[in-house]
Amino acid sequence: MKRLVAAAIAAAVLSSAAYADTIKVGVVGPFSGPFALQGKNFKAGIDAYFAINGNKVGDDEIEVIYRDVPQADPAQSKALAQELVVREGVQYLAGFYFTPDAMAATPLLEQANVPMVIMNAATSAIVTASPYVVRTSFTTWQTSSPIAKVAKDGGVTKVISVVSDYGPGIDAENAFKTAFEKEGGTVVEAIRMPLSTNDFSPIMQRVRDSGAEAIFAFLPSGPTTLGFVKAFNENGLKGAGIKFFGPGDFTQESDLPALGDAGLGLQTTFHYSVSHDSPENKTFVEAAAKAIGNPAELSFPSVGAFDGMYVISKMIEATGGEQDAEKAVEAVKGLSWTSPRGPVTIDPESRHITQNIYLREVVKDADGKYINKEVQTFEKQGDPGLAFVKK
Amino acid sequence: MAVSMNDSVTAGLPVRRKFDTGSLIGLVAIIVIGVAGYFLFPNNLALLTRIIAIMLLVLSIDLVTGYCGVATLGHAALFGAGAYGAGIAAVHFGITEPLTMTVVGAIAGALAGLISGIVILRAHGLPQLVLSIAVIHLFHEAANKASAWTGGSDGLAGIAPDALLGMFQFDLWGRTAYIYGLVLLIVVFLGLRVLVRSPFGMLARGAREDPIRISAMGASVKSVLLRMYVISGVVAGIGGALTAISTQVVGLDSLSFTLSAESLVMLVLGGTGSLYGAMIGTVVFMWFEDLVSAANPFHWLTMVGALLIAVVLFAPKGLYGSGAVILGRFKGGRK
Amino acid sequence: MQTVFSIAIDALAYGMVLFVISIGLSVTMGLMRVVNLAHGAFAMIGGYLASYAARDLGLGYAIATLIAVIGTIIIAIPIERFLYRRIYGAPELTQVLMTIGITFCIIGIANFLFGPTLKTIPLPQTLQGSADLGFRSIATHRIFAILCGLVVAGALWFFIERTAFGIKLRAAVDNAAMAAALGVRTEVVYAVSFAVAVGLAALGGVVGAELLPVEPYYALRYMVTFLVVVAVGGAGSIPGALIACLLLGAIDTTGRYLAPEYGEFFFYLAVILIVTIFPRGLAGRLK
Repeated sequence: MKRLVAAAIAAAVLSSAAYADTIKVGVVGPFSGPFALQGKNFKAGIDAYFAINGNKVGDDEIEVIYRDVPQADPAQSKALAQELVVREGVQYLAGFYFTPDAMAATPLLEQANVPMVIMNAATSAIVTASPYVVRTSFTTWQTSSPIAKVAKDGGVTKVISVVSDYGPGIDAENAFKTAFEKEGGTVVEAIRMPLSTNDFSPIMQRVRDSGAEAIFAFLPSGPTTLGFVKAFNENGLKGAGIKFFGPGDFTQESDLPALGDAGLGLQTTFHYSVSHDSPENKTFVEAAAKAIGNPAELSFPSVGAFDGMYVISKMIEATGGEQDAEKAVEAVKGLSWTSPRGPVTIDPESRHITQNIYLREVVKDADGKYINKEVQTFEKQGDPGLAFVKK
Repeated sequence: MAVSMNDSVTAGLPVRRKFDTGSLIGLVAIIVIGVAGYFLFPNNLALLTRIIAIMLLVLSIDLVTGYCGVATLGHAALFGAGAYGAGIAAVHFGITEPLTMTVVGAIAGALAGLISGIVILRAHGLPQLVLSIAVIHLFHEAANKASAWTGGSDGLAGIAPDALLGMFQFDLWGRTAYIYGLVLLIVVFLGLRVLVRSPFGMLARGAREDPIRISAMGASVKSVLLRMYVISGVVAGIGGALTAISTQVVGLDSLSFTLSAESLVMLVLGGTGSLYGAMIGTVVFMWFEDLVSAANPFHWLTMVGALLIAVVLFAPKGLYGSGAVILGRFKGGRK
Repeated sequence: MQTVFSIAIDALAYGMVLFVISIGLSVTMGLMRVVNLAHGAFAMIGGYLASYAARDLGLGYAIATLIAVIGTIIIAIPIERFLYRRIYGAPELTQVLMTIGITFCIIGIANFLFGPTLKTIPLPQTLQGSADLGFRSIATHRIFAILCGLVVAGALWFFIERTAFGIKLRAAVDNAAMAAALGVRTEVVYAVSFAVAVGLAALGGVVGAELLPVEPYYALRYMVTFLVVVAVGGAGSIPGALIACLLLGAIDTTGRYLAPEYGEFFFYLAVILIVTIFPRGLAGRLK
């Protein structure tokens, strides 16, 4: 039976390679539902890539097929990934906003001979799940660690950590704690709150009672970050001089208009700001804004998707359009290029992206638009979270 | 506010024979459609397997909602318990034999059914609905908290089931998983046919229609409902185990309010109080969702909404229920 | 002691916001006997209209709120006429199917028209910032929400218990056929009550927007919360809903302060306890 399956796959592979004029890329992401905005950004990034570089690699044309997984749903994600591979015959899987969705599809890769390019999912462990996984986004560890240094340099020694009680939140808490303690600071209290929390006033009272000089916070991008920041201001914590630190999920560009003046002065560390000042980013933002329709909706997943397409195009180039996952992944190990976010490299060891992490502050630009202004750069950051992945 | 259901569709008095013609027709239909699905959509078996797993969940809701009149928006608790039961058995205890995993899932589902039943049966109508919502959130939160066992929100990965019966690997195409699912569905279907036509099944239906009279007859309504809840847990648990085996990963979504609500919608869509209604509702809803979401991944929700509204307007007893009524009228007219 | 006061104030503010948003649902579920899962969708429409009027057209907060309430009612009229009228008196599960369908459609349309980003409703100068209570500060708009809640509760109570229309409404609820026979035009009564419920939803969407920001998924995200509040209070009872909101607000806030990690457990265990002790809700009407 096993041999039969292997033979069948080999046959499928050969036949698809022989007619590989169109190379299909299957993108799984949240295109509807509460995270539709992030899925839209995937598409904008991919469209921007095609607008700038065209959709041809050599003689081969890239075709993208989208599949919707509105909320974290590994079973659905796996079913769709499987369908993309066996029915649509995609040679590359990409996208994946949520960690469990990516995890669910990794067991398919080896058998299907398909590489997977993660455009968002931010848990360190994913790259260890299969040798065919490459990530062009970030990990929560990667974006949360540098802010500890910022806090310490700002003269803060006592911090309270407040995170949403789910995987990435716990990652952020651990990342910050590890980094901050290394700097010699103390995390006086670590609060985990349910994801469904809407009213943050009681949490803010806890923060006030804890006597911390600063708060480190992580919530998933979206409606709750707004309530959190407002509660922080309205309960007089901002007025009392308590500093606010967090990774950039808090101040994604598409949420900034809603935050308004309440967001001014928030300091976050992240891998990408839409306002990043470089010619590459200018070209990218122009194309991506056009693709998404409303420039105000542009946010960080778009750059993960854009670079993901770049990596895939390099893979296609290296394999000449043949379906060969191992060769494809091998070809991009150590690949360096200038992304809209700055210089990046695919770490040959982990297949995760090494990149600059920026400290940004929310300010109003000359046109009265709220932006994340980059004020400090932490160069060539790897993923510190990998060391903590349970083997 | 008591929950009144669509009129039960399977009319007629209990038949003592264990295998009546109705069951036989259903059995043949499932096999024919199942085999047709295998050959018509050989590249889409993962979706078909998923439909079967959800179908088991919807059948399980039908047992308590359609047959017993219990309103629940928390039934995924039973399904998720089955999925996590099978998954944890495989990951933490090395029980990777698929049949054993399924049994573990069924037991976990039954336990979850017992717990939710004890809580949910304490009220009726809207408060009951809210109790079920509370139950599903507690289950969800508990699984999120116990991340050492469940993997928390990152999902429980690394479930690697053995070959089925030592011969059939769970492959990329999902053939083994699909056939295994189909067999499970047939077994469950036959079992439920016997159950709903048994004296116990009749008692349950009586408990829905006139609980006072059932009490007066000397039967305990609550015990009937609780037993049905446990049975329904077994069915949902098998469904959950099937997802764990076929997708090799279990996520918190399997214990979510969303899944509970969606599967209740599928049941009502098909028609409550009949096994066929539950199965037809699942197939139509999931197939339609897959179709429109592949056609337009960005704005398909509107189409699904329109489908639901259309069903209420034009087939108020659900697809199967209204279909049966029209068919009945047609037959009646000819006589 | 200060902590207790502080929690109490947060609880009051949160509870009243819940009340303003949920009370419309209590009217449809308790008085009209419609399981209206689209309640959140109407609140969301209100939020969008207010946001559009205040932010994009630059109108004042009061006018924007008025536009939101009236606009939502106008949008709801054809929906009531063609869809809801078909499910009055239908089995609950059929109503669930219909109203979830309506919710899906509204979400899809909102996503298409307004995009998936968060929308805010700019507050007037007087409602911005916070008020100092001596030992802590509280956002001014929360005080506004508390006042709104009290006004709505009072007005609604007067409307239902003291006006001629309220009498007709209660008659139509208790026995529609009898009321019709006595000359009450029940479909008019129902249409007006529906409009009131939708208007309240829109008002809640606007007033609560600071806490529950407007976005397309709003309609489903908070549906559970609304349902829980109404059921615990007892559908159709205004004092019941008020007590339920304050009680649940207090439990939620206290849990969140004392043990945020287990916030969800606290809340739902309390719900189970209350519903078990008061199976018809805190002040449920007997059927």
